[in-house]
Amino acid sequence: MNPQIVETVNVAREVAWLPWAVQYFFLIGISYGAFLLSLPGLVWRKPQWKSISHLALAVALICGLSAPVALLADLHQPGRFLNFYLHFNPSSWMAWGAWFIPIYVGGLLLYSWLAWRPMLAQHGRDGGRYARLAGLLAYGGHESPSALKMAALITAVGAVLVALYTGAEVMVVAARPLWNTPWLPVQFVVTALAGALGMVLLFNRMLSSPDRRTVRTVSRLLAWTQLLALFVGASWLLLGLSGWSEVHSMALAQVAPADNWRLLAVWAVLATVVTFLLAWKRPGSGLLIGLLALHSTWMMRWSIFMGGQEVPKTGAGYYSYQLPMGPEGLLGIIGTLGLWIFLFIALTSLLPLNRLAGSESH
Amino acid sequence: MKIERRELIAAGGLAAFAAGFSQTLGRMADSVVGKSTGEKRLHGHSAEPEYQVDVATGEVRLNPNQQVSYTGCLGCTTLCGVRVRIDKRTGNVIRVTGNPYNPLSTEPHLPMNVSFKESLAALSRYQDKGLAGRSTACGRGNAALDQINSPFRVLTPLKRVGPRNSGKWEPISFEQLIEEVVEGGDLFGEGYVDGLRALRDLETPIDPGNPALGPKVNQVGHIVSVNDGRDLLGRRFWQNAYGTLNYVGHGSYCGGSWRSGSGALFGDHRGMPHGKPDLANAEFVLFIGTAPGNAGNPFKRTGAMLAQGRADGRLEYVVIDPALTNADNRAAGEQGRWVPIRPGTDGALLLGMMRWLLENDRVNRAYLSYPTLKAAQAHGEPSFTTASWLVVTEPGHPRYGRYLRGSMMGLDIGDAEAFGDKDPYLAVDAQGNIQPVDAIQGEARLQVDMQVDVKGQALRVRTGFELLTDSIRSKTIAEYADECGIPVEVVEGLADKFSSHGRKACAVAHGGMMSGSGFYNAYSVVTLNALIGNLNWKGGFVMNGGGFRDASPGPRYDLVNFPGKIQPKGIPLGRNVPYERTNEFRKKKEQGQAYPAQDGWFPGAPGLATEWFASTFHGYPYSLKALILWMANPLYGIPGLRERFGKDLADPSKLPLIISIDPLINESNAFADYIVPDSLMYEGWGWTSAWNGVPTKSMTARWPVIEPRQAKTADGQPVSMESFVFALAKAMDLPGFGKEGLRDADGRPVPLEKAEDWYFRGGANIAYLGAKPVGDATDEDIAMSGVDKLLPGLKAALKEDEWRKVAMLYSRGGRYEQPSGAQDAENPQWQNHRFKASLWVWSEHIGGARNAVTGKHYPGCASWSRPAFLDGTPMREVYPEQDWPFLLISFKSALQNSYSIATRITGLHPENPVIVHPEDAAPLGLKNGSKARLQTPNGMMECTVLVHAGVMRGVIAVEHGYGHRELGARSHVMGDKTQPDRSDLKAGVNLNDLGIVDPTRSSRSPWVDAVSGAAVRQGLPGRLMAA
Amino acid sequence: MSFPCRPSVRSREDRPDAGRRMFLRGIPVVTAAAAAMPAPAIAGNGGKHRWAMLVDIRKCIGCQACTVACIQENAVPEGSFRTVVSTYSVSVTDSGQPAGTYVLPRLCNHCDNPPCVPVCPVGATFKQDDGIVVVDGDRCVGCAYCVQACPYDARFINHETGKADKCTFCAHRLEVGLLPACVETCVGGARIFGDLNDPDGELNRLLAENREHLKVLKPEAGTSPQVFYIGLDESFQGKVVGEAALWKPRHAAV
Ligand SMILES: Nc1nc2c(c(=O)[nH]1)N[C@H]1C(S)=C(S)[C@@H](COP(=O)(O)OP(=O)(O)OC[C@H]3O[C@@H](n4cnc5c(=O)[nH]c(N)nc54)[C@H](O)[C@@H]3O)O[C@H]1N2
Ligand SMILES: Nc1nc2c(c(=O)[nH]1)N[C@H]1C(S)=C(S)[C@@H](COP(=O)(O)OP(=O)(O)OC[C@H]3O[C@@H](n4cnc5c(=O)[nH]c(N)nc54)[C@H](O)[C@@H]3O)O[C@H]1N2
Ligand code: SF4
Ligand code: SF4
Ligand code: SF4
Ligand code: SF4
Ligand code: SF4
Ligand SMILES: [Mo]
Repeated sequence: MNPQIVETVNVAREVAWLPWAVQYFFLIGISYGAFLLSLPGLVWRKPQWKSISHLALAVALICGLSAPVALLADLHQPGRFLNFYLHFNPSSWMAWGAWFIPIYVGGLLLYSWLAWRPMLAQHGRDGGRYARLAGLLAYGGHESPSALKMAALITAVGAVLVALYTGAEVMVVAARPLWNTPWLPVQFVVTALAGALGMVLLFNRMLSSPDRRTVRTVSRLLAWTQLLALFVGASWLLLGLSGWSEVHSMALAQVAPADNWRLLAVWAVLATVVTFLLAWKRPGSGLLIGLLALHSTWMMRWSIFMGGQEVPKTGAGYYSYQLPMGPEGLLGIIGTLGLWIFLFIALTSLLPLNRLAGSESH
Repeated sequence: MKIERRELIAAGGLAAFAAGFSQTLGRMADSVVGKSTGEKRLHGHSAEPEYQVDVATGEVRLNPNQQVSYTGCLGCTTLCGVRVRIDKRTGNVIRVTGNPYNPLSTEPHLPMNVSFKESLAALSRYQDKGLAGRSTACGRGNAALDQINSPFRVLTPLKRVGPRNSGKWEPISFEQLIEEVVEGGDLFGEGYVDGLRALRDLETPIDPGNPALGPKVNQVGHIVSVNDGRDLLGRRFWQNAYGTLNYVGHGSYCGGSWRSGSGALFGDHRGMPHGKPDLANAEFVLFIGTAPGNAGNPFKRTGAMLAQGRADGRLEYVVIDPALTNADNRAAGEQGRWVPIRPGTDGALLLGMMRWLLENDRVNRAYLSYPTLKAAQAHGEPSFTTASWLVVTEPGHPRYGRYLRGSMMGLDIGDAEAFGDKDPYLAVDAQGNIQPVDAIQGEARLQVDMQVDVKGQALRVRTGFELLTDSIRSKTIAEYADECGIPVEVVEGLADKFSSHGRKACAVAHGGMMSGSGFYNAYSVVTLNALIGNLNWKGGFVMNGGGFRDASPGPRYDLVNFPGKIQPKGIPLGRNVPYERTNEFRKKKEQGQAYPAQDGWFPGAPGLATEWFASTFHGYPYSLKALILWMANPLYGIPGLRERFGKDLADPSKLPLIISIDPLINESNAFADYIVPDSLMYEGWGWTSAWNGVPTKSMTARWPVIEPRQAKTADGQPVSMESFVFALAKAMDLPGFGKEGLRDADGRPVPLEKAEDWYFRGGANIAYLGAKPVGDATDEDIAMSGVDKLLPGLKAALKEDEWRKVAMLYSRGGRYEQPSGAQDAENPQWQNHRFKASLWVWSEHIGGARNAVTGKHYPGCASWSRPAFLDGTPMREVYPEQDWPFLLISFKSALQNSYSIATRITGLHPENPVIVHPEDAAPLGLKNGSKARLQTPNGMMECTVLVHAGVMRGVIAVEHGYGHRELGARSHVMGDKTQPDRSDLKAGVNLNDLGIVDPTRSSRSPWVDAVSGAAVRQGLPGRLMAA
Repeated sequence: MSFPCRPSVRSREDRPDAGRRMFLRGIPVVTAAAAAMPAPAIAGNGGKHRWAMLVDIRKCIGCQACTVACIQENAVPEGSFRTVVSTYSVSVTDSGQPAGTYVLPRLCNHCDNPPCVPVCPVGATFKQDDGIVVVDGDRCVGCAYCVQACPYDARFINHETGKADKCTFCAHRLEVGLLPACVETCVGGARIFGDLNDPDGELNRLLAENREHLKVLKPEAGTSPQVFYIGLDESFQGKVVGEAALWKPRHAAV
C-alpha cells in the first residue's frame, strides 16, 4: 500500500547561494591547496620543489585574492560586510570565517612578498616594463628566511582554519542531508588539493619551456589525490547504502532517485578514474590532467552547492536550476574569471612566470 | 607587442570583472549612500496596520493614513462582501478581506446593529473574536486588486484602428464615442454603419413577412456576464428605454442545464430557481458535478461550511466528479469521498439510485402523496410535489404529456380560462375518486393508471409518479452502473446513505451538468431530492434567502415604471420559445409537415447567448446589426464559438457594429469596434444579492471606495457603463432617463442623470423594505467607514429621513437579515424562506413539448439517455470511441477565474497541464510533464500533461482559466502606447478552443443541450497524442 | 513510510446495512492518528506572550487566500512566498478511492530551537521573548546562511530588501491587537492563532482538545516547531516523496 504522490501546487525556492559561492569555494580551495604546495620548495627549501612551489604560490595568491571578492558578491548586502566584525556571532562558522579569511589572505600576501622580494628586486634591476614598480615593491629585496617562516606559519594556520571553516560551514547544515556528512570537509580538502595541483600544471604549461620534472611530480601527486577521492567517494556510497550512517543514507536517498544526479555520479567517477589513470600512466600529459583535475574540483563544488539547493527540503521531487545570464549567473562567473586574469597578468607582469619558475636559466 | 596584448587582456579582465560585479558594486554603493527603502527593522515592507485594538478593552483606534470600507468583490460570481483597506496617501488598495456583516464572507455574520467601530473589534485578537468571527476573502479575492492598476486596463474610450481583432486602437473622447455610436456613418472607412439611433426602429418589422419576429430594434443585442448589481439599470436602458428584446446574461454557458433541469422541477422556466444544501446543518450531501471548496457558488461560504462540517464530524459528503478537485481532503478522511464518474452519465447514476430507493422502500411516499402545500403542511411537510397529479398519457392526444385539468372533466371553472391557473389539476383521493387537488386534505394516490372519459373519449391518465417510476425502471441498476462507470455496490451504497439521514441529506449539482445530456441529468438530481422530501427542511435542500430589491416599484422610489416604458416584443434571438408559436410552424403545418423546423427551438430555456451566434450569422430567426458586450467574454467561455464564428465576428459586413463596455480587453471584445472603459470592482456601484446558498436575505452595497481610474466625462463622471447609458439616453432622448427620469413614491419626478441618482434611490428602497426600515448611521459610523465622502451626494439625492439609512447600508456594506432568520421561528426544523409552489415531478412544460427538429415529445420527468446532439443522435454514434477514445471535461480552477490571469495568484500556479490517468498515459508514452497534442473533431492543441490518478480513466480533465489570448497575453497598441509584453500569460490551454459544433445542425452551432440550449463543455470526444 | 487507515471515528459497524456502505469506509486516508506519537513540545514561557499557530488541515480547502494575503500584507516580491499551501494528488493502491487531495499550509514554524538562528554570522536572526523568530533588517548582510539552515524552506532572500525574509507571524499586526493576515482571511478556518501563555485562549483550548492528534513537521529535526497541525500525515511530515509540481517559478528580475 504505497502512496503515490503528485504535487499539483507548490512553489520552488530559488537557490540562495548563487554560483558566487561555488567560485569562492573553488578559488579558496585551490588557494590553500596551492599554498601547501609552496611550502616544500620555499620554506623547507627542497630544491626539486623550488619551481613547483613558486608556481604554486602564484596560484595561491591569485586565487586567494579573487576568492573573497566572489564571496563578497554572494552577500545580498555586500556593503554591510563590516557587520561581520561589528556583530560577531560565535555560534556561526561563517562568522568565524570572516576572521579566518583575513588571517589567511593577509598571511599569504606577507608570505608571498617575503618569498618574492629577491625576485622582484632582480626584476627591477634587469629592467623592462614594470621593472620600476617591481623594484619599488621589492623594498630592498633582501631574503629574510625567519620572517618567511613566520609568515608561512601564520598563513598555514590561516589555511587550516579556512579549510576547516569552509568544510564545517557547509557540513553543519543539517537541513541539507547532502551537505550534512562528515565526509564533506574531507572531500573539499582532497579536491582542493587536486585543483591546486591541476592549476600548477596549467601554470607550468605556460612557461616558455615547461618543466617536465614538475609535471611528473605533480602528476604523481595528483594521481594520489584522485585515488583518495575515489576512496572517499566509495566510502560515502558504502555508508549511504549500508545504512550504517544515517546522515549518509539520507544524503544518498535524496539524490539517488534523480536521473541527473545519477548521471553526475557516473560522470564524476569516470572523470576521477580517467584523471587517475592518465596521471599514473601518462604523467607527461600535464595540461590535460591539470584541466581534468580543475574540472572535477569545480564540478564537485557546483553539484554540492547548486545541485544541493535543487533538493527541496519539504516539497516533492527537485527544483530545477538554470544558470541565469546576468551577474547572478554566467556574467558573474565571467567577472570572476576576468578578475582572476587581471590578477594573473598583474602578477606575471611584475614577476614573469618564467622567472618565478626559475626556468629562464634553462 | 606581446606586452601590449597582455595589457589588453588584463583590461578585458577588468572590464569583465566590472560587469560581473556591477550588481555587487551597486549594492555596496546603495548601502553607503543609504538608499532608503522605507523598511521597518523587523517588519520590512509590511504594511502599517489599518487600525489598533486594545486587547484589554476592545477599544479601536484607526490609522489616519488608511481607510477601511465595506463593499463588494467581483473576483468571481460569488460577489462576496469585502473589507477594503486603502492607503489614503496613494489611493491604492493595500489588502482586502471579508465584511463581517456579510454572510458570504462570515458565518455567522454580525447583526446590522453592531456599529462599524465594533465590527472592527470583532475581527481582532480582542477576546479571540477574530477567530470565531473570521471574515474572509479567498485567494482570488485577495489577488483581484492587482487588476486596478493593471497595465492592461482600458482607461479611455477606444476605437479600433485597422481590421477587427488587430490589437490596434485609438483613444477617443467620450463625446466622440457617443456621437459615433449614436449617429453612425462611415466610421472606419469601410462604408456606412448604422448608429444606435437608426437601429432603434420600434415600428418596422425585421421581416415584413414574419412580423412575429418583432421590430428592427431587436437587431441590437446585448450580452452581459452576471448581475454585478447594475444589471437592472442595464435592462432599464436596453430593454425598457431603448427597446430591444435581446438582452441576455451568461447563464446558458455558465450552468444553464442545471438551472433548466432545476427549473423543470420547480416549475419556473424563466426564473429557474434552485436550492442548495443547508451545509450548516446537513448530515449527508451528494455533490454531483459541483465541487464545493474548489469552485461553486457561493465559493467561499460553501468551502468554509464544508470545512467546518467535515472537521466537526457532522457532515459526510460524496463528490461525484470525473476529476479530483479541492473538494476532497484526505486529512478529513472518511467524512468526504470522491467517486469518479464517466462524463455526462449522471442521469444513469441517479436513476440507478432511484431504482434502489424504489425497491427498498426508501422513497418517501407519504410526502409525495400530498397534492397541495396545505395538505403537506397539515402533515408536517414544508413542501409538496405533483407526484400524485394525473397526466394525460393517451398517445396522439393534443394534451399528451400535460396534466389532466378540471375543465377537461367537465368541472365548472366559471369564467376562468381553460388550462389557465384557475383550471384545477386533478388527483385520485384515498377513496379512489378523481378530485381537484385542492379538495384533497390528506394523501392522494401515487399509483394510478386509468382511463377517464373526456367528452366521450376514453383517455389514459397516470400519475406523474407512475411515469417517473416507468422511467426509473427502464433499466436495471446493473445497467445503470455500467453506463456511468460506477460499481453497482457504490450506486446502491449511495442510495442507501442518501436515504438514511431523514431530511438532513441533499443532492446538488452545477457545472458538471454541462454535458450533452445535461438537462435530464440535472432534472434527475433535483428529483432525487424530491423523493426524500428534503425541500425547505433545516439541513436539507433549502432556498436562497434572496435580496432586498433596489430596482423595484419600491417603498421610496419607483425604479421600474416610467412613462414611455417599452415592453419589448418579438421572438428572441436565442429561439428560447416553443417552435409551435412561430410563423414557420404555422406555415409548415399548413403544408402538412410541421417538423422539422429549420433549426432548434428551446422552450425550456431562458435567453441563450449560446445560440445567438448561430442565429445571427445564419439569419435564423434573424441577424443582429449591433452587438453590445458588457463584461462578457463569450468567445473564451463558450466551447467551439471562436473556432466556428471567430471569422464571422471579424467581418463587419456580417455584424456591422460591436461595442464593448469593459475595463479590460478580453478574447471577445478584442473584436469590438469601440470599447467603453468601465469601473473595476471597488471603483463601481451596485446592489447585489447572494446568488444562492445564503438562507437569510442579503444585499451587498457596492460603491466606489477608491477613485475610479478611468477618464472622466465632461461633467466629471467617470466613463463607465452608467455614464455611457446616461449619455446615450440623452443623445437619443429616451424615456425613463434624464431630469425627470425617476419618480419617488408619491409620483414626483426626480432626476436620473448620474450613477448616484440610481443607486442611492435603490438604496432607499432597500433601507425601507421589510417590516421595519433599517436604523440610522451614526456620525461615527459615517466618519469611520469612509461613507463621509458620499454624504453630499446622499443628502442631495435623498430625503431628510432617508440619507442616514442609506448611509447605514454603505457603512455596513449592505443590508443583511439576522442570522437567526434562516429557520422558521415557529417551526425551527423548517427554513424560513421556503419555496411554496409545487415541485413538478412530471413537468408538463417539458413533457408536453416537442423537439422542433424531430417532432418527438420530450420526456417529462427524470430520465436517462446518452449524451446526444440536437436531433437525438447519440454523440458516440457520430464520434465512436474507437476514433475518439477520450472524453474531455473541464473544471474550474480552484484559484483562477476566467479573468484573474494577470494577478499575483497566477504566479502560484501559472499554467494548467491537462490531467491524464496514469493508465491512459502509459500506453501513449506520456509521463508527468510530457508535451502532448489534444484533439477533438473541431481542433487540436498542444498541451502539457499532468499524470495522476485524480481523473476517471478515459477522461482528460482541463482546468478552466488558462490558455488566454488576451487580458494581457497579447500586447495591444493604444495610440502611441503599447501594453507590456506578458506573453507568459498565454500559458496553458482553454478547452473551449476545442469545443465541438453539432454535426446534425445545418447552422453548425456549437454543441448545446437539446432541451436547455446550454453549452456542452463536458464529455467532448477527444484524442491525445504524444507531441 | 506507511499510509495507514484511520480507524473510523464513529463506529456504525453495528448497523445492519453497514456492509453496503463499506464503499465509504476503509479508504486509506491520511492522518495516522493510530499509534500514539508523543505530542510535540509546546513551548510556553514565563513571558507575556508566546505566539503559536495551529493548522487544522481538515479545514483547509487549498484556496491560497492565506498565501496571497500574506503577499499583499507583507509586500512579498513576485516569485517569493512566506507561506504557501502545498497541494497534492495522492493515490493509494488497493483502495476504494483511486486518489485524493492533500493540502498542507506551510510557513515558518517559529521553532523553539531554530536552526536558522545559530548560523547567522551577525546575529541578525533571533528568537524574541514572545517566541517569534525575526530578522533584524538593520543588521542582516544577506548571506543566506539561515536560508540554507532552515529545514522547512521557510526563508528566502527578499530581492527588494536584499535581506533574509520569512514569516514574522505578522508581528506588526499582533502588536496592535490584530491577527496575522493569513489567519484573518483563512476561508476554511484552518489557521488558528493565539498565545500559548493565555490559558483561556481559543488556541490553548483547541490544542488541549486535540492533544493526541497534534503533529509538527520534521519532528526528528529537533527544532521544536510552534506551528502545530491536526491531520498531518506521516507521508507529508518530512520531505515529500513524489513527483514535483510542473511549473517554474516566476521571479521578479533578480
Ligand atoms: N475557484 C473558482 N470558483 C468559482 C468560479 C471560478 O472561476 N473559480 N466561478 C464561479 C462560477 S461562474 C460558477 S458557475 C461556479 C461553478 O461551480 P461548480 O459547478 O462547482 O464548478 P465547475 O468546475 O463548473 O463544475 C463542477 C465539477 O463538475 C465536474 N464535471 C465535469 N463533467 C461532469 C459530469 O459529466 N458529471 C459530473 N458529475 N461532474 C462533472 C468538473 O470536473 C467540476 O469539478 O463557480 C463559481 N466559483
Ligand atoms: N471550458 C469551460 N468554459 C466555461 C467554464 C468552465 O468551467 N469551463 N465556465 C463557464 C461559466 S460557469 C461562466 S459563468 C462563464 C463566464 O463567462 P462570461 O460571463 O462571459 O465572462 P467572464 O470571463 O467571467 O468575464 C467577463 C469579463 O468581465 C470583465 N470584468 C472583470 N472585472 C470587471 C469589473 O469589475 N467590471 C466590469 N465592468 N467588467 C469586469 C473582464 O474583462 C472579463 O473578461 O464561462 C463559462 N465557460
Ligand atoms: S469567492 Fe469570489 S467574490 Fe468571494 S472573495 Fe473570492 S473571488 Fe471574491
Ligand atoms: S522554520 Fe525555519 S526559519 Fe522558521 S524558525 Fe524554524 S528554522 Fe527558523
Ligand atoms: S541572511 Fe541575514 S539573517 Fe540570514 S544568516 Fe545571513 S545575515 Fe543572518
Ligand atoms: S503570519 Fe503573517 S507573515 Fe506569517 S504567513 Fe501569515 S501572513 Fe505571512
Ligand atoms: S486560506 Fe485557509 S483554507 Fe485557504 S488555503 Fe489557506 S489555510 Fe487553506
Ligand atoms: Mo458560472
